[in-house]
Amino acid sequence: MQAEDQQAQSAVLAAPAEWTLPKRPNVASNIWKFIRRKPLGAFGVLLVLVMLAMTLGTPKAEFGAPALPSRPLGFELGKPWLARYNAETIFREAETGRIAQYFNPSADHWLGTDRGGRDTYSRMVFAARRSLFIGIWALAFATIVGTTVGVLSAYFRGWFDTMTQRLMDSLQAFPALLILILLISLFNPDLTILALGLGFVGVTSVQRIVRGVVLSTREQPYVEAARVLGATDIRTMVFHILPNIMAPIIIIVSIGLGAVILAEAAISFIAPQRVPQDPSWGIMLSVTRQFLPPDPEGYHTLAAGGAIVFAVLGFNLAGDALRDVLDPRLRVG
Amino acid sequence: MQQYILRRVLLNLLVIFFVATLVFLLLRIDTDFVVTQRAQQTQITSPEATEQARDLVRNDLGLSGSIFEQYKTYLWNLAHLDLGESFQAKDDVLSEIGRRIGPSLELGLLQIMIALLVAVPIGVISAIRQDSAIDYILRFVSIALLGIPVFVLAVIVLLLSSRELGYTPPLTTYRDLVGFPPFGTDKPVDVWTNLQIMAMPAIIGGLGTGAIIMRFLRSQMLEVMRQDYVRTAWAKGLRERVVILRHSLKNAMIPVLTVVGLLLGTLVSANVILETIFVIPGIGLWVVNAIGQFDYPVIQGVVLVVATILVFTNLIVDITYAWLDPRIRYG
Repeated sequence: MQAEDQQAQSAVLAAPAEWTLPKRPNVASNIWKFIRRKPLGAFGVLLVLVMLAMTLGTPKAEFGAPALPSRPLGFELGKPWLARYNAETIFREAETGRIAQYFNPSADHWLGTDRGGRDTYSRMVFAARRSLFIGIWALAFATIVGTTVGVLSAYFRGWFDTMTQRLMDSLQAFPALLILILLISLFNPDLTILALGLGFVGVTSVQRIVRGVVLSTREQPYVEAARVLGATDIRTMVFHILPNIMAPIIIIVSIGLGAVILAEAAISFIAPQRVPQDPSWGIMLSVTRQFLPPDPEGYHTLAAGGAIVFAVLGFNLAGDALRDVLDPRLRVG
Repeated sequence: MQQYILRRVLLNLLVIFFVATLVFLLLRIDTDFVVTQRAQQTQITSPEATEQARDLVRNDLGLSGSIFEQYKTYLWNLAHLDLGESFQAKDDVLSEIGRRIGPSLELGLLQIMIALLVAVPIGVISAIRQDSAIDYILRFVSIALLGIPVFVLAVIVLLLSSRELGYTPPLTTYRDLVGFPPFGTDKPVDVWTNLQIMAMPAIIGGLGTGAIIMRFLRSQMLEVMRQDYVRTAWAKGLRERVVILRHSLKNAMIPVLTVVGLLLGTLVSANVILETIFVIPGIGLWVVNAIGQFDYPVIQGVVLVVATILVFTNLIVDITYAWLDPRIRYG
């Protein structure tokens, strides 16, 4: 009996040479699978990549305070590679020397020129930077604050949870757009304030989702085990709960980016005088909102409107697909 | 249940108190700016006189005294449902809100009606023919609608209709929009004009909202249709119509109605953009102008009223939810 057992065991141990572990699918085939399964999501990712490409430019050597958007992470960025001219370069008619106001699209100016004789296409590319960096800064603020509040609130529960949630309810009861317009009216036009304001508005929804996830996570056996082993509250939250709620947080960020970019465009559209004046899709749309092609001004409208639509669409589609892949339970509509 | 409602009402009052405090603090960030701006309108140049003018303005606007005194007066007035007078037009804010809430509510309700009319059939068809060509087309349309911001769509529709059809919605003041006694004047309302004003923004807003509802309804329908009772209904040999409409849709609609209820809460404030573009004399347009003029009482009043409507609508939605789905118990 024993001999037979040993024989069987050694047979298992000495696996034939042709047995190999299943190969991990490589990156390229993963990407291909994603494209096949989620064609719309892949389209969204493509749009997001185009927008990212628009923001890329030569970093200058200067390193300074991180101000938006020319110094996104402290590095001063030069003209985006995809832009053909500088955002403020003014073009003039060759014969008369007059400012080239609202020219039709041509080989020199792919989408025509705007009111000040500046190249519409280049300004559209420049504006991507503002949208994206406001989105990233706002989301960073909303996610960090929202996650902290959500985790603390769900972890400690009790009266702390009740009070925090009522405070969050009251923030949510604010008409967000109005408060944002008010906020930017109170200060000098400044992108940092706009970004932080947008992030502040986002805190409530981030913390609500995080709180919901943590409420169920904290009842998991591994959290209980950590507590039994004597882990402090902070250790439990940071090393046991936080890593396990990363999926919903990533999803919130990817879907939130589209929402923030949309909100920024909407504010710049409604109150163009009150926001910083560097190139912005919202401002561009509001300037020529009475025109559509074949009016020469209309190409300006289309450029700005199209940019907003594709940016928002891209982030929505990509975020949706990401959610389906990472955590299908979070489907909310 | 009664206890639950009572507790929620008290918590709502707490929330409203928080909102009142926050909006008060927010508006007091930089009062000097407003005072200076208004004092300059008097065109006084000498320094002493300027200071006097600023004091006058401060007194006039109720911005004199320490912030605690201001806060005390503010809460006291609030407790008496006195939202003050607007700086600019010297209207009583509460009654002005009463007059202007009509158009906003009408626009919002029309929007939700259109959204439901569009979303429910499309959501159902998309769910029962899952992964068919028509499902893909409908889903793509809804995603595209979600991606097109309301202000881009509104601008393009308005332009095209005025240029190609030579038609734009008529402009008016709220006095023509709401004629019935609780809100406005005794002048009868011209229903046809009213609908003309509301139709375009309502459809544009409704399509966007409808896209959200449609996607939600579709995923709910897919979930419900996998339930045992639906299989039983099929097994009993019921007709497709009955299984889909009576057994599946009815149950799938419950969470959808919650979403609609939550949208109802944001009705008044959600349409700031559409009201601005189509110049509809509702709350949104008014408050955007008020922000431009730093008209504190108006901003405070509108934020408070909007927040109050929101939290109590949410309460009603939760109660209705328990009534629609008896499995839900609050305690």
